[in-house]
Amino acid sequence: MSITITTTINGKAVSAGAEASTSLLEFLRDTLEYKGTKLCCNTGECGACTVIYNGKPINSCVTLAADANGAEITTIEGLADGDKLHPVQQAFIDTGAVQCGYCTPGYIISVKALLDRTKKPTAEEIEEAVSGNICRCTGYNKIVDAIQLAAQRL
Amino acid sequence: MAKAEFKVVGTSPARKGGVERVIGKGIYGIDLMLKDQLHGGILRSQYAHAKIISIDTSEAKKIPGVHAVVTAADAPDVRYGRSYFDRYILARNKVRYMGDPVAAVAADSPAVVKQALKKIKVVYEPLPVVIDPEEAMKPEAPTLHEDMPLPKNLPEGVKVKNVCSFAAVRVGDAEKAMAEADVVVNEVYETKMIHPQYLEPRIAAAQVEPNGRITVWANSQGPFPVRQEISKTLGIPLNNVRVIAAELGGGFGGKGSGITSGAAIEPICALLAMKAKRPVMIVLDKAEETISTTIRSGAKLYIKTGVKKDGTIMARIGKVIYDTGGYSGFGAQAGGRCTNMLGGWYLMPNCHIDGYVVYTNKQVCGPVRGPGGPQAAFAVESHMDSIAAKLDMDPGEFRLKNIPKAGDKIVGVPKLRDVSLGETIKIAAEKIGYKKVGAQFIAPALGKNQGIGIATGSWIESAGPGGGAVVKVNEDGSVTVHIGKIDMGTIPGFGIPLIVAEELGVPVEDVTVVNVDTDASPWDAGTVGSRGILVAGTASRLAAIDARNQLFKMAATQLECSPEDLEIVNKQIRVKGTPAKSVSLETVATNAHNVIGEVIGRGYFDNVAAVAEEKAHGSSQPFTTHACIVEVDTMTGNLKILKYVAVHDIGFPIHPVAVEGQIEGAAAMSIGQALCEQVIVDKDGRTMNPSFVDYLMPTINMMPRIETTLIHGYPGSGPYGAKGAGEIACVPPMAAIANAIYNATGVRIKTLPLSPANVLRALKEAGKA
Repeated sequence: MSITITTTINGKAVSAGAEASTSLLEFLRDTLEYKGTKLCCNTGECGACTVIYNGKPINSCVTLAADANGAEITTIEGLADGDKLHPVQQAFIDTGAVQCGYCTPGYIISVKALLDRTKKPTAEEIEEAVSGNICRCTGYNKIVDAIQLAAQRL
Repeated sequence: MAKAEFKVVGTSPARKGGVERVIGKGIYGIDLMLKDQLHGGILRSQYAHAKIISIDTSEAKKIPGVHAVVTAADAPDVRYGRSYFDRYILARNKVRYMGDPVAAVAADSPAVVKQALKKIKVVYEPLPVVIDPEEAMKPEAPTLHEDMPLPKNLPEGVKVKNVCSFAAVRVGDAEKAMAEADVVVNEVYETKMIHPQYLEPRIAAAQVEPNGRITVWANSQGPFPVRQEISKTLGIPLNNVRVIAAELGGGFGGKGSGITSGAAIEPICALLAMKAKRPVMIVLDKAEETISTTIRSGAKLYIKTGVKKDGTIMARIGKVIYDTGGYSGFGAQAGGRCTNMLGGWYLMPNCHIDGYVVYTNKQVCGPVRGPGGPQAAFAVESHMDSIAAKLDMDPGEFRLKNIPKAGDKIVGVPKLRDVSLGETIKIAAEKIGYKKVGAQFIAPALGKNQGIGIATGSWIESAGPGGGAVVKVNEDGSVTVHIGKIDMGTIPGFGIPLIVAEELGVPVEDVTVVNVDTDASPWDAGTVGSRGILVAGTASRLAAIDARNQLFKMAATQLECSPEDLEIVNKQIRVKGTPAKSVSLETVATNAHNVIGEVIGRGYFDNVAAVAEEKAHGSSQPFTTHACIVEVDTMTGNLKILKYVAVHDIGFPIHPVAVEGQIEGAAAMSIGQALCEQVIVDKDGRTMNPSFVDYLMPTINMMPRIETTLIHGYPGSGPYGAKGAGEIACVPPMAAIANAIYNATGVRIKTLPLSPANVLRALKEAGKA
């Protein structure tokens, strides 16, 4: 059964059809072609598909597209201001936290949500905020550096 | 070479390709979408070992929206493999692991693909399954490959079966030396199968062009091997196959060995596209990927060492049982390396090791990050501590007693050029908290149930073919670089632009490294084996120098001087010492259009020359020592790594931040294998934990801060004295952590992972919990 979903993505009103079983991730990637949100485990374990949903970071692979109806969603495509990168994006580049980069959008979204909540996160809060994001390239050192740098700059 | 000699190499500017990665541009293989593309899917064996009696695809073909269904009958009767041709792209007659591809479908939507796969009727005759490689070697075990002969080099009189390949180390007279040793320590270690779990799933997309050629997009580490294998397995002339590399969301060797690594999804996809006459894309589901693609093999390691009372190692006798799974994959290479490395990287005057690479009904061995090394090192470096304990010697001191020096040989390496091993041990000891008092190291004071562990490692980069680079200087003075290596967070984004900028006197921003396209890029074996900087780095440097020579020749005519008098600084070609006498790079590159057409520099890493050089002057391989402090919770078996240091000699770091990133990432991967990672297979060959829900990997909460130290003064064979950095940090972590547990509790755990359940069981057995 197809349903029409009306939602706000990165401040823009969007309306499109989806099956009742379509995940928010599939809706974003395949229907709307927001390819920045990444598909990986499809079980809500790795955080590559993280988006901000009404102010909170969620795994879009285990959220139904139908739940986006009437919601406000921020994806990685919505962070930069024209050519000017968001401070979190810039910090990931500056610290060498981007190796293959596949987990990066999910991390940046989780960190943005953290820094929207608290400007001066403690080490524990940083760890908690990205404990649902898996990175296989960096060993996490440079990701922690990036988050601390972004918090300093904000 | 000192860092000060250079302007660009040795600095750490932002990675190329960073911006598109942080703003979420769809650049990866998985983001592809071809016009009119169909979705492809693969039917995988439900048995770990069975005869295929029949395959009926008629019902599947009738489903509306299905455009092609293929089986082995649709492909040429051609087998593939890296050194043993024991596998078809789609199983023919037999399946050998649960996940072996049997048939494939192309359809309008993923839902129709799923429906069609269910309608393919395969009649199997199940055969007995063998999961344990030692069982597989016994005469009563089922035979996996009826038509693969046993290795010719098996020792005389050995009665085995299902052995894919055999490797041997024979140095001196190990039996005799062992009999003369004062102390003998005899142990058995075991490591389990892990999956590299790069985050981006494997993909393949294929389309038949109007002229009949086939274009394949792949997120493979080796586009050229993929091209060759598609050509062979589908019977298409090589020049009619074009492979375009998509950006990779991780690989770690898992995407490394041509089509072997992906269980042939590239040729299967091309076959579907040919049959359907439409573009087709296959995206593996993560759980499907965990059971079907290549893994780091489990190994059983028998290790016995004889030493003198003063700690001098006399002899080692060992045996490696290396599990290659249903097919040879990368097993012969990885198992061979593991066998050599069980001999260690210390002085070893007598050594006898037999290495058996064995077929079992499991998924296939791949070239996963440091293939064979971490397994061997877990045994070697745990064993070193066991020997030190028996001798009542400090583990660091015992190691230092046996380190080789320049000119010495170690197992598998006839001659060493420089040896940084001792320096890495000393620095790691200091960094982890040892105090040097006179000639002695004094361990730091530790809390209850805390222990300190140290483990060393080495790695060889000198195996494999060369590779080329082409450097083009454009008419505006910018530079375009073509290499055959892909970017997965490795050199195309980090080191290569710096090397070319250094040699051509241009800003790093003006250098573009082009993604691999087999129609245009120079041939390369792939981004594997820690050889990025050695092969493509050397080739790019030589290509840039070649381009510079062409520029200088033309500029010399104009400036009326000799080419040797020239230099390039900030895109100006000028006479050394007379900077006013100059011409811009832009002018010379533009004028080239009328003289030589274009400035095109060519470079190649000459592997034959490199091997000869190493034979003459010795190997300059990297060494490392890792050390950690671990706290063991004796109630739960849980480990907490309180401090972790990694000391590495990688020669000259071309992009130090990238090098640290490689070291930290590789260490993390083996810390994951030490603490929790394992692909669990039941007696029928079924993977019990295919999804990320059950396959545990380290998250940020589990990981210690890895404190990396790069030491200098031991130049390698790469450009500017660089050594490969991608794999070696995978070697020591598992033993370092196991040694810390031993130091904390007195309990030696010889089987991975060091998970809470396993640690607690070991503590209970020893009466320490």
